[in-house]
Amino acid sequence: MVLDPQLVWNGLVVGSIIAVSALGLTLIFGILNFINIAYGDYMAAGAYVAWAVNAQVGLPLGVAIVAGILTMSVGAVVLDKIVFQHFRTRSPITLLIVSIGLAFIIRNLIRAIWGPSGHFYDLPMEANPSFLGVRFSVEQVAIMVVSILLLLGVYALLRRTRIGIAMRAASDDRMLSRIRGVDTEKLVLYVWLIGGAIAGLGGIMLGLDAQLRPNMGFTALIPIFAAVILGGIGDPKGAVAGGYTIGVAQEVSVAVIPSEYKFGVGLVALIVGLLTRPDGLFGEATR
Amino acid sequence: MALVDLLLVVGVIAGVYSLLAIGMNMHWGDTGLLNFAHAAFFAVGAYTSAILTTPPATGDLATRVVGFDFPIVVGLLAGTALAGLVGVLIAVTSVRLEGDYLAMVTLSSAELIRLMIHNEAWLTTGAQTLKNIPRPLSGVVPVSYDIFYFVLVWTIVGVCYLLFTRLSHSPFGRVLHAIRENDDVPLALGKNITVFKLKSFGIGAAIAGLAGGLWAHYVYAISSIMFLPSITFLIWAAVIIGGAGSYAGAVVGASVIVFLRQITRFIPGDVPFGDQLAYIRLMVVGAVLILVLYYRPEGLLGDAERLQAGTSE
Repeated sequence: MVLDPQLVWNGLVVGSIIAVSALGLTLIFGILNFINIAYGDYMAAGAYVAWAVNAQVGLPLGVAIVAGILTMSVGAVVLDKIVFQHFRTRSPITLLIVSIGLAFIIRNLIRAIWGPSGHFYDLPMEANPSFLGVRFSVEQVAIMVVSILLLLGVYALLRRTRIGIAMRAASDDRMLSRIRGVDTEKLVLYVWLIGGAIAGLGGIMLGLDAQLRPNMGFTALIPIFAAVILGGIGDPKGAVAGGYTIGVAQEVSVAVIPSEYKFGVGLVALIVGLLTRPDGLFGEATR
Repeated sequence: MALVDLLLVVGVIAGVYSLLAIGMNMHWGDTGLLNFAHAAFFAVGAYTSAILTTPPATGDLATRVVGFDFPIVVGLLAGTALAGLVGVLIAVTSVRLEGDYLAMVTLSSAELIRLMIHNEAWLTTGAQTLKNIPRPLSGVVPVSYDIFYFVLVWTIVGVCYLLFTRLSHSPFGRVLHAIRENDDVPLALGKNITVFKLKSFGIGAAIAGLAGGLWAHYVYAISSIMFLPSITFLIWAAVIIGGAGSYAGAVVGASVIVFLRQITRFIPGDVPFGDQLAYIRLMVVGAVLILVLYYRPEGLLGDAERLQAGTSE
């Protein structure tokens, strides 16, 4: 079978979006140790705020994107102070269920404010150029470039900065890092700031590639979970690798299975991944 | 529509959701299993019963070639059994996984099943609505049909409530509770905990399938968008608000949520934010869920001692 370069390209674009989103989710999991079901709704909220600034207020898309990212960055911290903070000592399952409640609130707030139907960003209409037989849009190129820059940035942050090193330490062994003097609450603040910003960016990318819908983030959650779990839950490098793997697998699968089932690829990858390598691609047994 | 008729409709929905919550309470309340596939069991029950009790579609645009025109009782029983079987199949692959991993796999399995329902038109009418599902004893009952169905559904809820409460206090139920508290203890006593978990999963899923059948035969027409994961999350909210581990709590929690959602129907459309009321109700559900978890983590009717269970990392 010859791989269709167009499908590979599509896969890399989708993979970029999943990789970025999975990175945010896995960072939050690494420090707070619970699966945030509302994460997809953070993504949608970021996308909608950017859309409102872009299409409703009429500001340039660049400004709108920054506004969307900042809103979710601060928003994630505010939601932590209002909601999650009070459950810090509870079990991860309780926090997971709390995040279900939060997901209800955010998703329906979006529906109440911006309506249930779809929206598009205000983008200049251009014919899609093609290169070596692969048709692509300017937005897709931007998505790929931005995602690579972001992934490199987060990598540098985790490797080179004090806060990044503290994050990795806490993610590895919370107790030990606390004993060694890491300020956990400060760490939590940074994680929400960064994780929220990444969620917002992921949502905006999703909206740029397709359209905005109130449940867009929630729908994207399963491939994102698949990427996180495939990469080893809490492992940023793994989440990125998992994201690109799922994205490419999903799009390339169209060559052999009916395209309606391409979303099943992520689901099957998640199930098979969990059953065969529960600690992820690069993982060693930690749980 | 008169208020009484509306209340009957809401009551039927509350009964169906109560059955779903009873099944979920067997999983989470009794056994401590994080099941996020409930919407799929609901769908399997609904579609099985619908396909068995309707003839194949006819005409030029017909896509569904499968249909049996069996009596409704056959459909309901088969839907219940098949949902239970699907529950066991999903559990076979995943029940050994730790809590939140189990949640992810079951959620994904449910979406996979919904994807199949959405795409296999020869069997399920696909993306289109499966219509003309017969209503039991339609045209025969001497009272208003909603009264009949209300009584039917709540009789089944009552029977299931008694059955599951007894099951929960039986030796079988006590092993489930032991599994919930700590896997090691029943294991040390020589119990095959995997088999017990599979049985719990199958039984709870079967009741969700029965709920699906009752739903399909009440609403005439079903489509795949009725079975989104949001149903599963609503049932979770119902079980938590009612109090995990309590079957009375499951029924109360489900009824509270259905009434919170459906009460919109009683409010005239011209009040401020009238258009947004449906969304605001769901936001209220989310807020109530969080508040209950904070102020009364054992739920309305739950047992505080159960709280420690099934939550170990």
